[in-house]
Amino acid sequence: MVEIKGYNMPDELYYHKEHSWARVDGNRVTVGMTDFFQKEAGDIVFVDLPEEEDEVEQGEVCGKIQSRKWIGKLVAPVSGEIVEINEELEEDTSLINTDPYGKGWILVIEASNLEEELGNLIHGAEAVTKFIEEEIKRAEEEKAKA
Amino acid sequence: MMMKWRLFKETGRPLSTAEGLAIDDTLPRSVDQHGSPPILHLYTFVPSAIVGKYQDIEAALKLERCKARGVEYNRRATGGGTVIMGPQVVALGLGINLDYPGIKNGVSGVFESLSQVLCAAVSRFGVKARFRPRNDLEVEGKKLAGLSAAAESGKALLFHTSLLVDFDIGLMLDIMNTPLIKIQDKGYSCFSQRITTFGQETGKRLSVTEVMDAIQEAFEEHFGIQFTQDRPDPWEQECISRLIKERYTNKDWIFSHKHPRARMGVGRVKTKGGLLEIYLSLAGGSIENLVITGDFFSTTEAVQRIESELKWTSARREAIEEKLGAIWKPDMIYGLDVPTLASAILQAKENQVRL
Repeated sequence: MVEIKGYNMPDELYYHKEHSWARVDGNRVTVGMTDFFQKEAGDIVFVDLPEEEDEVEQGEVCGKIQSRKWIGKLVAPVSGEIVEINEELEEDTSLINTDPYGKGWILVIEASNLEEELGNLIHGAEAVTKFIEEEIKRAEEEKAKA
Repeated sequence: MMMKWRLFKETGRPLSTAEGLAIDDTLPRSVDQHGSPPILHLYTFVPSAIVGKYQDIEAALKLERCKARGVEYNRRATGGGTVIMGPQVVALGLGINLDYPGIKNGVSGVFESLSQVLCAAVSRFGVKARFRPRNDLEVEGKKLAGLSAAAESGKALLFHTSLLVDFDIGLMLDIMNTPLIKIQDKGYSCFSQRITTFGQETGKRLSVTEVMDAIQEAFEEHFGIQFTQDRPDPWEQECISRLIKERYTNKDWIFSHKHPRARMGVGRVKTKGGLLEIYLSLAGGSIENLVITGDFFSTTEAVQRIESELKWTSARREAIEEKLGAIWKPDMIYGLDVPTLASAILQAKENQVRL
């Protein structure tokens, strides 16, 4: 577990800038939402997911996540076919809040262009720290402006 | 030079749900894809009931009663629960980029910024409202407006709210499947303790136009901008027509089955503080709504605070106790403690039945 400014961001994972994460196991990529996202969003109450066997492109909005009255986006971190959906989320969406990198995983993609696309994602302690620091800075700047 | 925003203000006629919602959905698309500055849409609906994007419409509403009373029903693109709209409720749609200066960043910040604007609008009538995190505008514990939002197009956001100038609680009780229907004899007093209107707060008969004008001015002051009264251009008209056809008159959208399972249950526990009754609506594993009643001693504000805090919390003991613990003060409900209240809620969960 790697904690950056109060956010748990495991450094073996790959991150999309829209806050989905990817765990790579061969060609199978497990996808979920980051600790940063779940803390910002608050209680997750519904996840609107694609179907298994759907094809998705890297960067495509492939699902929606509702937290209370807010509806945010789940962006596919890699392209490929959706081969598994976390059915436990149907009964308990709070798993995304309580265990975002474990039981709160959302879906698995069988990647079609993994090697090339991983290069577009944020990875490694240094890059992830920079990403989170920028996200926090952006939030603070906006608050100051307001 | 002062920034110009666009204003679509409709005071001439109430809109159908399909038209009003399609215009609102077009706002963030126009901001993101069509180069428009932020657009504020102020209008009223025909008498209607509008559910949140991920609600089970058949569980939320008595559709036969809606039809019998000539009340339209539809589904909006933003989240949250059912709202009852009509010619005396100001509807507000706003399309704006998430990184617009003056909008606090992050999900909760957006609600906070826009709530400030609405509080300022309300204060023009001498009504002191405040933002109740995360989604309501309240006056002394009573809800005056509900807020909801969705990330629709790129970085552009659609923000929805409704402000009650006057409100027909009887109609609401007749057409909604709320847990409170089960205690209808107490229903009116329960609801009137939880909802308020401009009419009630000011003791005057305000027109919706006056309220719309106040909202418009509050936006201009808060963001340092000026509105230009406008109407949808041809690109936007086309988008509106498409959304009316594909979404708001389409049964697949209105009766969408993408929603958590709706259930409700009642919990009754005798406590040292008196009889405690919990009416609970569940959406999947989350608390959608709950009402706490009984013969205990407390204040409306304290009970509302508890009910509001628990909305959309996961219905597990740890989550409920954590939420309650964060706001609990001794004797918030006289003679009651957090574990007892949590047990009553869990008992309501145990007794859940399908709506």
